[in-house]
Amino acid sequence: MRRVQRRGRRSRDAQAILETALVIPILLLLVCNFLAVMVQVTAQVQLDSAVSLAAQARFQTTQGAYDPSGVRCCPDPRCCASPSGATSLDTAGLPTGCRYAAESFYGTMTFNQGMLRWQSAALCSTGGDSGGASASPRSAQPYPGAPPAHVACVLGATDPTGRVHPGYLDRALNPPFGLDVVTCDATATLDFSRTPLAWGVFWAPVLHAHAEAVPPPFRQ
Amino acid sequence: MEGDARRATRAAFRRPRAQATIEFAFSAPLLLLCLFATIDAAAWALQNSAAVAAAEEGARIAASAAGTPVGQHAPSAAQVTRGVTAQLEPALFATSVRPWGSPRCPRKPDEVEAAFGPRVVAVCVRENDPPPCTTPATAQSPALPLLCDDSPTVSVRVVGFMASLVPPGFGLGRHGGEIAVDVSATTHTLRFVR
Repeated sequence: MRRVQRRGRRSRDAQAILETALVIPILLLLVCNFLAVMVQVTAQVQLDSAVSLAAQARFQTTQGAYDPSGVRCCPDPRCCASPSGATSLDTAGLPTGCRYAAESFYGTMTFNQGMLRWQSAALCSTGGDSGGASASPRSAQPYPGAPPAHVACVLGATDPTGRVHPGYLDRALNPPFGLDVVTCDATATLDFSRTPLAWGVFWAPVLHAHAEAVPPPFRQ
Repeated sequence: MEGDARRATRAAFRRPRAQATIEFAFSAPLLLLCLFATIDAAAWALQNSAAVAAAEEGARIAASAAGTPVGQHAPSAAQVTRGVTAQLEPALFATSVRPWGSPRCPRKPDEVEAAFGPRVVAVCVRENDPPPCTTPATAQSPALPLLCDDSPTVSVRVVGFMASLVPPGFGLGRHGGEIAVDVSATTHTLRFVR
């Protein structure tokens, strides 16, 4: 009788331990993934904000203004007082608006950089002027000497229907003082492998942000 | 003999109840911890996203105010704070928004807490390294206001401690029930020759 009772108790204990061993990891897995989604949302919001401000800043200068030699942009404007080769971008010879875009982007994107793996591209591109409405659109060409950056801005034109042609400048669509448009893009992979969340998060989401902007009315 | 059997049966009934109580005592705090952690994480994500959006909006306000032929400097923190408070307040619970009056922005959320007390976020506006305004080298129409060749960056920072469900003694702030926020947005203004 006693032996039977003991055996019954042991099997119940074993069952409880097994249940706990199954439930706790699943619970922690759920919590980890929930936290990861929250982190992803926060990073995406900041990336959207940074790219949007970069696109707006691309036109916050006179048309045809170029950075003289020696001008550097720091990934973080707070370091501009002491720029170094390792942390700053050389924007000499590029339109001043390209530096403005980079400074706005890096000044806003303050999310933990250790968690982001960036896809770099030329900071600034343009299609140049094709010379007439009949010419076929060209793909975007980086400005000579454009440094690789985490944000890429392409100058282009909008047609009368409002469709954007990145890298396509045409006198008919985009007369010298007419409406041009800039499109900025940034892509990064959120990497949880160096965080405690790596224990239960087995995915690495790709964050992408895209923004367009047109020049302000005072620009000339 | 009969008494022994009765005692054994009673003990057998008691054991599962005791076991269930111990299991509950272990699992309930863990479950509550997970529940509060997820609620707090969601609240943090919501409030932090609102702070990022508010900083962006603040930067746009500061840049647009300075970037007109009559605007020469970025607006004060009070003006920008008024502009972003309507956007920020609905997302923050039990947290107030204040303008940071000093030209030097706080380095850490602790400075805001020391100045204003617990659960306050401050909005700070700063023009970074304004370059001297020179007459532009590029050709511009003399009929229109002339733009400077270079313009300063305007940064808006939202910094401080937001309310959270973290119990006193466990949060990042000194007063408990707080979670730090420190986000900024930077952009350029248009600057005109006077």
